[in-house]
Formats: sequence, structure tokens, C-alpha cells
Amino acid sequence: MNDINTDNIKSQMRKGVLEYCILSILNNNDAYASSLIAELKDASMIVVEGTLYPLLTRQKNQGLLSYRWEESPQGPPRKYYSITEKGKELLSEMDSAWNDVVDTIAQIRNNKKQ
Amino acid sequence: MKKVVNVGIGGRSFVIDEDAYQKLDKYLERFRERTRMGVQTGDVMEDLEQRIAELFSESIRTGQEVVNLTLVNKIIAQLGMPDGEAAEDDFSSSKKETTYNSGYAVKRLYRDPDNKSLGGVCSGLALYLNVDTTLVRVLFFISLFMGGIGFWAYIIFWIVAPLATTATQKCEMRGIPVTAENLRKYSIYK
Repeated sequence: MNDINTDNIKSQMRKGVLEYCILSILNNNDAYASSLIAELKDASMIVVEGTLYPLLTRQKNQGLLSYRWEESPQGPPRKYYSITEKGKELLSEMDSAWNDVVDTIAQIRNNKKQ
Repeated sequence: MKKVVNVGIGGRSFVIDEDAYQKLDKYLERFRERTRMGVQTGDVMEDLEQRIAELFSESIRTGQEVVNLTLVNKIIAQLGMPDGEAAEDDFSSSKKETTYNSGYAVKRLYRDPDNKSLGGVCSGLALYLNVDTTLVRVLFFISLFMGGIGFWAYIIFWIVAPLATTATQKCEMRGIPVTAENLRKYSIYK
């Protein structure tokens, strides 16, 4: 019972910041879905890949992302995602919101120790 | 020896075992149902299929010629569902199926516009009762010569039962769940 709860909380936390992670990764460089997945998996942000596709489509339709088709050395062209100006604006807002959260948590934890 | 199927997915073509094909097809259908993004679902499915094609060709390059059930199972476990849940191991299990059906499916009597010879009464009735349309037609025809009860019954059915015009009504007429997949199926032909 306890295990299930902690797992659930952990996955909820990850879900909350997943969209933020996608924007951050794409802000560093453009990526196609598979390399995005690899990066998020390395960071153990996602367990199953299926979560990502609805998010990408939603962000694309909100105008935060755009994509282009690019030739690949093997197989058909790949879909490269990149961040838009609107996405960058949202990202900078999220950056400061994230810093606030981290600061607040740090404060709460420090208070408890003293 | 196994029967294989040729499929096109994500712009590439693959040879796939028939059982593996069935499993993949069911998985894609469930993924589509659970995506719940309306018109945007097509984009999501396109990305997903591209990824599947990529994973297929990675494995095929390592010597294996035909996509088999083991590979499909592995990929389904890796991809999971849009809400982050793992895909159920066997989503054709009868228990799941029945609870699903009883939860969503409603069956109503409609007149069937797709398979009618007069008013669609016999066809609609046949779908409602799960019997052959021809059998119902023959019975009605015979009853015409037995005091005309059949004639009046037909007229009453014609007046009482509405014509199934929308895809939702066509699903209800067949008693199948009103899902995106089924709606798509019945909105194709008028």
C-alpha cells in the first residue's frame, strides 16, 4: 500500500514537469521524437513512451512547438521538432516558476531541520 | 510455418506474422481510444506509427526478417498507453471485453439505411435480434399472405423506429460501443 502511494506521487511529480522538460530540451537543440524519448528516458522522466506523443501534439497545436521534415540517412524523412518564440516565452516563465518552487521547498526543508 | 501479412506503417513496409499483426492492430486501436484528443488524435497516431516503424527497422537490421509476436510485445511494453499506464498484457481477455461492452454499448431498434430494400425495417430488426436479414424478410413476406398482419406490423415499425442516420445511431443499432474507432467505421459509408 505504502509502495503504491510513493510510486504514484513520484509519477505525478514527473508528469507535472514533463511539458517543461520537453520545452527545455528543445530549447537546447531541435530534436526528433526518438531522440527526445532517449533523453527523457535517460533522465527517468518517462516510463512508457506513449505519454509523450499526445503532449507533443498538444504543444504543437498550442503554438509552442513547430516541426519540419528532414531527410535521414536511413529510412523515410524524420519529423524534427523545434521550439517557437511563443514556446520560449512560456519556457522563461516556467524557468522562474521552477526556481520559485525549488527555493520554497529548500526553505521548508531547512526550517524543519533547525 | 506461419501466415504473414504485409503492412505499411510510418511510411515503411514490413512483413509481420499474422498473430503479431492482430496484437499490434488491437494495441493501436486501444491507444487511439484512450488518446481522447478529438481531431488531433490523427497527429498523435502518426507520430506513434513512425516510432513503431523505427523500432521495427532497428530490430530487423539485426538479422530478423519478419516481425514476430515477441518483438511486437516488447514494443508495446516500451510504448505503453497515452496516460502513462502500461498496456494490459492481453487486452483481448474476455473479462475486459465484457465489462467494457456492458458499460458503453446500448442497443436500440432503428431502421437501417445501409441495407434496405424498402424502409430498412427488416434489416434494422435483424440487427436488433441478431438474426439474418434475409430470414426476417422471408418471414415478413410470408406473413403478407396470412391475414395481412405482417403488412400492418411493417407499417407500424416503419413509423415507430427512427432511421439510423448518424454514426452514433448506427453503433447503437448494432449494439456496439460508441467509440472513436467504431464511429469512424460507420461514418465512411452512407
